[in-house]
Amino acid sequence: MPRIFIDGQPFDASLEHTVMQVADANGIYIPRLCWHPKLSIAGNCRLCVVQVEGRSWVEISCNMPVSENLRVQTDTELVRAHRKAILQFLTLNHPVDCGICDKAGECTLQDYHVAYNGEASVSREPKVEITKFYSLSSRITLDNERCVLCTRCVRFTHEVSKSHALGVQDRGDYSVIRPSQGPGASPLEHDAYSDNIIDLCPVGALLSKDFLYKDRVWYLKATPSVCPGCERGCNIDVWHRKPEWALRSLDARHNTAIARVTPRDNPAVNGPWVCNKARDLAQILERPRAHAPMARGREVPFDEALVQARALIAKARRPVALVSSWGSNEELQAFKVAFGERFACFVKADHQPADGEVVADELLIRADKNPNGHTARALFGSAPVAFAPDTDLVLVWGEGADFAALPRGVPVIFLNAYLAPENGHADVFFPISVMTEQRGHFSNFEGVTSAFERCFAKPPGVLDAQGLFEALGVYTAREAVTP
Amino acid sequence: MTPNRDARILMTFPVTATSHLLAEARARGQYSALDKALKTMTPAEIGKEVTASGLQGRGGAAFSAGRKWSVIQLDDGQTHFLCANADEGEPGTFKDRWILENSPHQLIESMLIAAYALQVRHAFVYMRGEFSGPYRRLQAALDEAYDAGLVGENILGTGFSCDIIIYRGAGSYVCGEASALITSIEGKRGYPRNRPPRLTVKGLYQKPTVINNVETLSNIAWIVNNGSAAFKAIGSPKAPGTRLISISGHVAKPGVYEIEIGYPWKRLIYEDAGGMLGGAALKCVIPGGISTKVLTAAEVETLNLDPTEVEPAGSSMGSGGMIAIAEGTCMVRLLQVMLRFYHHESCGQCTPCREGMGWLHRIIDRIVMGMGRVEDLDQMIHISKLQDGNTICGMGDAAGYAVIGILAKYRHEFEHWITTGRSLCEGKLECLASS
Repeated sequence: MPRIFIDGQPFDASLEHTVMQVADANGIYIPRLCWHPKLSIAGNCRLCVVQVEGRSWVEISCNMPVSENLRVQTDTELVRAHRKAILQFLTLNHPVDCGICDKAGECTLQDYHVAYNGEASVSREPKVEITKFYSLSSRITLDNERCVLCTRCVRFTHEVSKSHALGVQDRGDYSVIRPSQGPGASPLEHDAYSDNIIDLCPVGALLSKDFLYKDRVWYLKATPSVCPGCERGCNIDVWHRKPEWALRSLDARHNTAIARVTPRDNPAVNGPWVCNKARDLAQILERPRAHAPMARGREVPFDEALVQARALIAKARRPVALVSSWGSNEELQAFKVAFGERFACFVKADHQPADGEVVADELLIRADKNPNGHTARALFGSAPVAFAPDTDLVLVWGEGADFAALPRGVPVIFLNAYLAPENGHADVFFPISVMTEQRGHFSNFEGVTSAFERCFAKPPGVLDAQGLFEALGVYTAREAVTP
Repeated sequence: MTPNRDARILMTFPVTATSHLLAEARARGQYSALDKALKTMTPAEIGKEVTASGLQGRGGAAFSAGRKWSVIQLDDGQTHFLCANADEGEPGTFKDRWILENSPHQLIESMLIAAYALQVRHAFVYMRGEFSGPYRRLQAALDEAYDAGLVGENILGTGFSCDIIIYRGAGSYVCGEASALITSIEGKRGYPRNRPPRLTVKGLYQKPTVINNVETLSNIAWIVNNGSAAFKAIGSPKAPGTRLISISGHVAKPGVYEIEIGYPWKRLIYEDAGGMLGGAALKCVIPGGISTKVLTAAEVETLNLDPTEVEPAGSSMGSGGMIAIAEGTCMVRLLQVMLRFYHHESCGQCTPCREGMGWLHRIIDRIVMGMGRVEDLDQMIHISKLQDGNTICGMGDAAGYAVIGILAKYRHEFEHWITTGRSLCEGKLECLASS
């Protein structure tokens, strides 16, 4: 295995690797704009220059193959001068409108400018004026003036999402990223992974229309979470208002709302990507919520609902439970402990593919649109839902159950987080919390377990399903012993 | 070295209305080298002969053709490709055009020999889009050669097969750069590629590819016919052979001239090209396309057209596109025109060239508009130096050379324009035109 030296430190490396990869793997940071570990090498930003010892010129490290006893320096005077020059070139036609740019605070160009240049522009020439707010799709807007033409977005659509939706048009400093019209290209609108280019963009050129001008990122906190959109269980960051920056004067819902969702790199699950469904997590989790327990459509205090539910369970001889495949591993385990022996348990698909949604593809999206079917089936089997003729109680946990298909006249206990007509039809109804209000784990279809953390406090009147199972379960267990 | 330095390799016949046709070309002995190569020589022998000849690339970089060829492993089991670079876009250069129009069979024969030497089944000619006349000539010649069984399957009954495909570019300067050229052939946007890998390792369609200039390739047939020793006897020891020089600018007879390397510079301008237009004095010469550094009249006074003499003088023979510039030409405007070209033709792929060309162009425009500042000149040199060696292809360097070359020698003209708001040469060239 060849040995190379970066800044004097020896590293073992493979001949297939580049200097950039070796430096990255060993914690030596070389600034880069166009290079991305999951995309092909473009070598166009020229920022990742390094100097091979004994040479009087600089070369880019992202395209420099490893060779035996290669000695590179990442921080010589010449390297610093070149980086500075490149940053001057880049800011030449960049509007530097950080004050109104959504990317400010997490912009690579901004960070590099501070770290490696730090000087005002030396140019006195007017900047090139190109398009602002060019709409690439209903989700993404493009500011060509801010674009540094690293072509990460172009390469992403060609190499990862395969939509070939983007290309470069025109030449020189009038080059612009534009929708591709070539053969085999499909519009970005139909690219289920399109929003990844927003994260890939090292500057504020590609922006989410949904997030546009909504928040400054330094007021936001990224909480590790897992996308419940399908059984892939992509790791995500849920961005929400930091508690110390909670808004008082504006609508308080801003403080408990998902500002945006970004992927969290997990090579075992999703790599650095997520699909657009994860970005729209708020559309799933922020639907109108149920806030109070009910008995046959009438709001009742929690204690009364609990008493009624316990009575129904105690009375039942052949109860059936429809288990949510959106429950966390912890909730499913608690359910198993509380009801596993008394109830005939069936795993239910809470969500089905929506109209127009990509059902499955080769990259990430899976056909099962529920995050934890893997654990649920491991605990409760994968038998299809079936009701014995003498079923005398149905416990439904979560969405997706067809109430019309339940046995007629049989009492129903229903646990649901959202407002739904079925809530009022159930004999006893409990509102439960959603995943952003609790912590837990999902295991994806390959059995890889990922954790999600709590983002927000539960709304008043709402219960964690796990606590509810214990409250109901302890009672039923005692009842089962005493008679 | 021939005593009078009047050896000819390419322009050996008078151009007539029919001299480009196959019949006349064969009457001149064309395709005898192909016959000799295919029937009596092995591919390795041809490669050795070319290496021994010391033939250098004629496109501008003057890289040894033999060394480029020797990278190709004949027995590596891979498909090899050969491309003739006919994307003659360097301003001032129109020498390949002469071959394509007047001696297309010279190129076709040489390409076939090269294809045989490199074991190529499909060879390409990448021709610039603006060359519609040369394209028709070459395509017609190729059709003739196909009909005569000289190209295609089983050439001359030897079992060797090679197809030549003409690919027309779409008018981009950068596509004359070898890696951009093959990217363009692949049907992609004509962006140059990063090295490594070299194109002789992974070129067209990721296969080993040799890309030679049209003029470089056209010498191959002669070398095979006459041997490397005869080729080496022409020209100068380090740079054997002849060069096609396309001379333009303020000369009486602009055009393409074949000169033996080592030919006296003044003889080319004052005898062959008929001297300066209207008897004007020579101010400076751009030796080989605008990407080479300008040489003043005093510098070329005693120089011979030999890389070993031109390079120590601080310039290079480049692509052979010589521009003679008469006294009275405003160098500020000249540089403005050059930078407008470079700005327009920058492909926009890598940062220094994309941003730097526009910057340089805007600065020179501002100077010409009378809003220049003295520190602009240092800024321009600074930008040029930052581009040098920091771009994917050589274009960033080339534009820098033009700026540095002109500013080093004619800085006073720029300073005059900046301080007075008008050209030092105002009106002088117009007198020349009316004289």
